Amino acid sequence: MLWRPHHLIRARTSFDFMGKRRVALIASTVINVLSLVGVLVFGLNFGIDFEGGIAVQVRAKQGTVQLDQLRATVGALDVGEVSLQEFGDASTALIRVQRQEGSAQCVANADRVLKRRAGGNWAVKPGAAGTGDVEFTAPSALDSVGWRDAVSRVGLTVQERQLPRGSVNTAKVEMTPDQRAEWCQQVAIKLVEDAIGDKYELRGTESVGPKIGDELMRSGIIAIVATLAAIAIYVWFRFEWQFGVGALVALLHDVISTVGLFVVLQLDFSLTALAALMTIAGYSINDTVVIFDRVRENMRRYKKMGLVELLNFSINETLARTLMTSGTMFVAVLALVLFGGPVLYSFSIAMLWGVIVGTYSSVWIAGATLVYLNLRPEQLNRDDEKAEKARA
Amino acid sequence: MLNLPRWQTIAVIVFTALGALFALPNILPAAVLDHLPGWYQQSRINLGLDLRGGAHFQLEADLRTVLNERLTNLSDSVRAEMRKQQVGLKDVTVEASRAVIVTLRDEAQRAKALEAIRAVDPSLAVSGSGDTIRLAYSDQELFNRKKEVIEQSIEILRRRVDETGTIEPTIVRQGDDRILLQVPGIKDTTDLKRKINQTAKLTFHLVNEDVAQSGANIPTSLPPTTSLVPTREGMQELRRANPKAWEEIQAANPRLSPEQICRRYQPQCLPVLKRVVVGGEDLDDAKATFEQQQGGRPIISFTFNTAGGRAFCNATRQNVGKRLAIQLDNEIISAPVVQSAICGGSGIITGTFTTQQTQEQALLLRSGALPATLSIIEERTVGADLGADAIQSGTTAALIGTALVILLMLVVYGPVFGGFASIAMLVNMLLVFAGMSILGASLTLPGIAGLVLTVGMSVDSNVLIYERVREEKANGRSAFSALATGYERALTAIIDSNLTALIAGVLLFGFGSGPIRGFATSLTLGLLTHLFTATIFTRMLLATWVRVRRPTELPI
Repeated sequence: MLWRPHHLIRARTSFDFMGKRRVALIASTVINVLSLVGVLVFGLNFGIDFEGGIAVQVRAKQGTVQLDQLRATVGALDVGEVSLQEFGDASTALIRVQRQEGSAQCVANADRVLKRRAGGNWAVKPGAAGTGDVEFTAPSALDSVGWRDAVSRVGLTVQERQLPRGSVNTAKVEMTPDQRAEWCQQVAIKLVEDAIGDKYELRGTESVGPKIGDELMRSGIIAIVATLAAIAIYVWFRFEWQFGVGALVALLHDVISTVGLFVVLQLDFSLTALAALMTIAGYSINDTVVIFDRVRENMRRYKKMGLVELLNFSINETLARTLMTSGTMFVAVLALVLFGGPVLYSFSIAMLWGVIVGTYSSVWIAGATLVYLNLRPEQLNRDDEKAEKARA
Repeated sequence: MLNLPRWQTIAVIVFTALGALFALPNILPAAVLDHLPGWYQQSRINLGLDLRGGAHFQLEADLRTVLNERLTNLSDSVRAEMRKQQVGLKDVTVEASRAVIVTLRDEAQRAKALEAIRAVDPSLAVSGSGDTIRLAYSDQELFNRKKEVIEQSIEILRRRVDETGTIEPTIVRQGDDRILLQVPGIKDTTDLKRKINQTAKLTFHLVNEDVAQSGANIPTSLPPTTSLVPTREGMQELRRANPKAWEEIQAANPRLSPEQICRRYQPQCLPVLKRVVVGGEDLDDAKATFEQQQGGRPIISFTFNTAGGRAFCNATRQNVGKRLAIQLDNEIISAPVVQSAICGGSGIITGTFTTQQTQEQALLLRSGALPATLSIIEERTVGADLGADAIQSGTTAALIGTALVILLMLVVYGPVFGGFASIAMLVNMLLVFAGMSILGASLTLPGIAGLVLTVGMSVDSNVLIYERVREEKANGRSAFSALATGYERALTAIIDSNLTALIAGVLLFGFGSGPIRGFATSLTLGLLTHLFTATIFTRMLLATWVRVRRPTELPI
């Protein structure tokens, strides 16, 4: 034998977990309340997935990114709020531009883009107030093909019918204000592209229009609520309702405190962050179920044991597995944090936190909830008797 | 006790072998793959756009405007029909994106008016009383129209984006009014956006019959009003007979004009008047249908909007008996003879067509203009080198994560038990790859993260079993009884804990799009397959080990 196995925990432990339930409960309540307050006061650092907007990743062709200089350049574009950060390494930067409204400013921006790309005699002007219409002016009369090329230069995709047929030098493109707002995203991308210049290369562009952002936010909230509810209902069906509530409280604890982590570290809250929350919910319940499973088994075996004692006993019995299952997950996620690259960073950090806090909540929060809900062994036994009678 | 029934052992081996078989095409070199059957070649994991580089667009079609246009057309048709049937009208108005309201001059003519409306479109939902009639499309009709518009847009987009048929874009309908457009491996989205705008130019021209009647395919001299344009059939014939010439035409830069093609390569051509009778942007719709009478021959029916209808009416009235050539880009797709004046905006093209031909012709006619304005509401572009970076970091993280997990398992459970759990975990990875290959799923960066989590989770079930074995051993059971009991007792906890994670995975799949869906796919597959590898598979390994080594004690 090359080496012998190493027990994480040598002998059976007998920590008084439930004796500390009040301390745990107060600590957790404080953390959760602070998390919620943090969300309300400081707000989540929503990524463009939910807030809409533009994210452009650029890399310096030589040397490192001059963040200040780049910030000044992009900041002067009149595209609203702009933020820059290093992304991954010193030669790469992520430029974020706020979501665009279909304002007159945007049409003025389009005018600038068109003048730069096509020539000074071109112009774009807003149409009648209350509509999203825009009017293009060309230096000479154009046919429909010419017009199509012209509007393409400012990122406008139109239906052929919206453009003039004959040779004219003005074109009115009819749009709703919503359509104009979506187009303004494209205008802003063009502006940023032009402003970056030759020193940087464009590595990737993401643009989420106002409509998609709102939709993703709504469906994201639904998805997370549905996940929590489905898991709680499953536990309720497999165990007793007290266990279902215990699981739900533990899950809420994990999810809310992870959201708190996002506030504290000001991590980007994007679609992958939401995926992390849902995965944490699905994962942290694992340990909880393992403990619940043992609690149920022991309740049947030791019918006279008090609940607190029984919980302590069960948690200690399963402690080695709880630590080990979390341990394997921890090292796997740690690899993601350290080597997974900048795109996965928020996700990985959230998962790492989720593994830790999920283990903690499985031990204390889920168990303590059972104590406060006054779960009695008889309730379980009653069901068993019923089942036996039914079988007989 | 620990031994599996023979059929289970065989099932395990077969299952694992199948997994290996279906994961194999991912690493086989192309030269070998080419000799294998097609279904097997396709068992591969596609790299998602975020790893491969490429562009992802979500486009929204403006269906309201389309509906309003249709209603305006409907009101025109109704007005024309009423005039024909001599029904006095006070007013015909369009209620924005809902209905057409007809107000009669005389209430007594209501029955006659309703008949006229049926003649225009029998499927309309008619309501109102007295002198007003409200016309609306039924819900079913609206649904079908929306679907039609989106499907037509998809056809056109495919034609525009993938002219050469080599870039394999994904273009699918999403929800009610959205289109998802994914183009792998492109660098410049400016070009792509221009292509979305790039209309195939569809025009109607009169054939210069004087020149055509002279008999020569390529006449030496032409009047200045006329030019030569090859027919589509002629070009296809040329491509068959002389592929080299066809390639030359495609590669020519600057592109050859239709007349140059005719003169240089002499395919079948037609002399057409340069003047455009009507343009494709005025064509509302073209459909492959069947003739009402005369045995239901396959025909093509088409509808113009008001402006187009008027122009078409004038041209056909003056040129009965002549051919009207329909030119798409640089080819004439057909040149039917004008049988009679076509007024009222719609007409049919008859001929000796097969159903397939009419469908193809209708598709070509429709490819002129997009039926609705498409706005870009989401855009994600990943450069190829960014994708390469993502693959690099994802692979590194996955390999190191796997190594750390194996190390931890070996240290805690020793080389035998830890080793078996690690082998099972690696087999699980193989099965996940096989599953993703069979599904043709895309591997995304979050998908790689899902694989790393699967690595961490798939040994968890072994941890549950092993810890239970340790407990049973500590409780005084004999080595092998402890092993068997451990496997049995841990099962409920394994199933319960994994089903909850599966719930999260499935919901995530339902909610997510693109990369997130890739994450949900790999995580869910991993959870499912590990139920097999962590339990039955490790049990088989252990049973074999016990049989061969006959140990007196369990090294756990």
